[in-house]
Amino acid sequence: MFDLFLQGFAAVLSPQIFLLITLGVGVGIVFGAVPGLTAVMAIALTLPMTYSLGPAAGISLLIALFVGATSGALISAILLKIPGTPSSIATTFDGGPMMEKGEGAKALGVGIVFSFLGTIMSIAALMFIAPSLAQVALSFGPHEYFAIAVFSLTLIATLSSGSMIKGIFAGVAGFAISTVGIAPVDAIARFTFGRVEINAGFSILTVLVGMFAIAEVIRVAEEARKRRDAPEPGPIMVKIKGFGFSMAEFIGQIPNAIRSGLVGIGIGILPGIGAGTSNIISYIIAKKRSKTPEKFGKGTIEGVVASETANNAGIGGAMIPLLTLGIPGDAVTAILLGGLMIHGIQPGPMLFITQGPLVYTIFAALIVAAFMMLILEFVGLRIFIRLLAIPKHILLPIILVLCAVGAFGLSSRIFDVWTILAFGVLGYGFVKAGIPAAPFIIGFILGPMAETNFRRGLQLSAGDFTGFITNPIAGTFLALAALSIIWQIYAALRPKKPSILSDIAE
Amino acid sequence: MTRNSELLVGLAMLGVGMGYLYMTMQLPRRGTVDATFFPYVLAWAMIGLGALQCIVTLQRGDFGARLGEKMQNVQKLTVLATLGLVALYILALRPLGFPIATILFLFAQFIVLTPTGQKPNLPLYALLSVISAAVIFMIFRYGFNLLLPAGPLTNLLP
Repeated sequence: MFDLFLQGFAAVLSPQIFLLITLGVGVGIVFGAVPGLTAVMAIALTLPMTYSLGPAAGISLLIALFVGATSGALISAILLKIPGTPSSIATTFDGGPMMEKGEGAKALGVGIVFSFLGTIMSIAALMFIAPSLAQVALSFGPHEYFAIAVFSLTLIATLSSGSMIKGIFAGVAGFAISTVGIAPVDAIARFTFGRVEINAGFSILTVLVGMFAIAEVIRVAEEARKRRDAPEPGPIMVKIKGFGFSMAEFIGQIPNAIRSGLVGIGIGILPGIGAGTSNIISYIIAKKRSKTPEKFGKGTIEGVVASETANNAGIGGAMIPLLTLGIPGDAVTAILLGGLMIHGIQPGPMLFITQGPLVYTIFAALIVAAFMMLILEFVGLRIFIRLLAIPKHILLPIILVLCAVGAFGLSSRIFDVWTILAFGVLGYGFVKAGIPAAPFIIGFILGPMAETNFRRGLQLSAGDFTGFITNPIAGTFLALAALSIIWQIYAALRPKKPSILSDIAE
Repeated sequence: MTRNSELLVGLAMLGVGMGYLYMTMQLPRRGTVDATFFPYVLAWAMIGLGALQCIVTLQRGDFGARLGEKMQNVQKLTVLATLGLVALYILALRPLGFPIATILFLFAQFIVLTPTGQKPNLPLYALLSVISAAVIFMIFRYGFNLLLPAGPLTNLLP
């Protein structure tokens, strides 16, 4: 293991990959920081650049973007009181008031340092859990994979934000879209209308770029010409000296950081929910455990530490099911999965055996990206603050062109560019209808996994359905899936308890 | 969202489910668990969820409640113009080639998205469109070996 790790570091520290990681973290921070730009967009428009890079370089760049974008959101959360991405919503609760009290530099310093610590904690968890989980997953057959896919699908559909009916519908619709193309096992063409371009189904990347990047561009286009009574607030320059906080304050926050990191890792591992949820949950826990809960919401570093440690801890957490089982937790890890597959890498337990050095290159890239994030956010903060003011009407059309280039580059077909537009319109429709897009993507990715393994499992047990229940692992996951649905229905029917937001406002 | 739009969402979900069911029924069958098994399960699930969404909405009491803001006409126009421009851009990619199509698209899209109350800076937009299209084309064609369509410029390129 140590040898593989050294090999990974040697690869990542080569001038080309190191430069790509630095660039990736920088671009990622900008995409995280500018409200309306997302990590998925950053990865989507960088993907075509990775086509001609080797797997190690390509994946390192994508990982750097992921790390940068997750952390960058704190900059606008503190300076503008607008979270750059949903993963920093709770950062605005205390980061904003700290800024108003003139403690902006301290809030940024705390946010950056604890983002870094959260990332490092989660990478450690990934490095210890993933190889052992991959060992266990090696013995999994179609029964287990079917059950895990069903369990993940039920979790994402029921835990996603907003209405549960719409969440489940989104998952089912994504699954339905994945049935387009040649069917597994008996190779019947389904819903292709005689078009050879979709015999292999829609590419994950065109669906993702359409649903997330193009839909977001259309959504921002909608806002761009809206008449406003008051102008939007501009960013204020903040100068940080040192880290912005004292050693005593740092030590005092360690228990809070460890707790928040564990919350972030745990939630990150679960499919369907990630940094967007963990930052709020860990904020609530930190407030409940705090000796001075009355300071929350008025500008305490405890709140910033809880939110920022937890959201960045989701990075390593989300990579665990992605690398060991090929199951993405959210849209960002789904697009990472697409990026891995473009380079001929199929995540799953076999990855740890057949491409061991590459797995450790990924680990090393995560660590280097975390350090680069820490350095770039302190050194380049002034540049990132300036970039917050880039006009969207200039940025978005260029992003759109880059998305089109990415889609075209998949197999040099204009058809794929039409596909991203079609899914962009669908994604925008989802936004307008209040249907969450994340379950759609997870349904689209896990659907074929569930169907193929269900049919293979039935073939193995000569058409006997009981194999899925009598197999201990498959049975457990199916029981958990059933329990999760029953729990959600019970929760929907029982008298409403105060919501998370009112809990925060307390 | 108003109760009416929530109902419309439910009806759309129901419609999608029924359309998918109809298409599934056209597929050839080869036993109980065949290529149509999951599509049937999914179609009925979508129909059930659509019906549930309609029922839940009809049971809601708040007739006029509105959770989001109503879209202004200028916003609808911007969205439609953006979609139209993207569609034209894709249509023009092969015949005009990437560089020319991109310059025209970017220039038009910059104007469409210019915030209300701000005057479009046409010379700047023209310059930005040409520079962005040229830089993206050169980087991908020569840096990343991605053969973007060049259209009429094909013979002029090295």
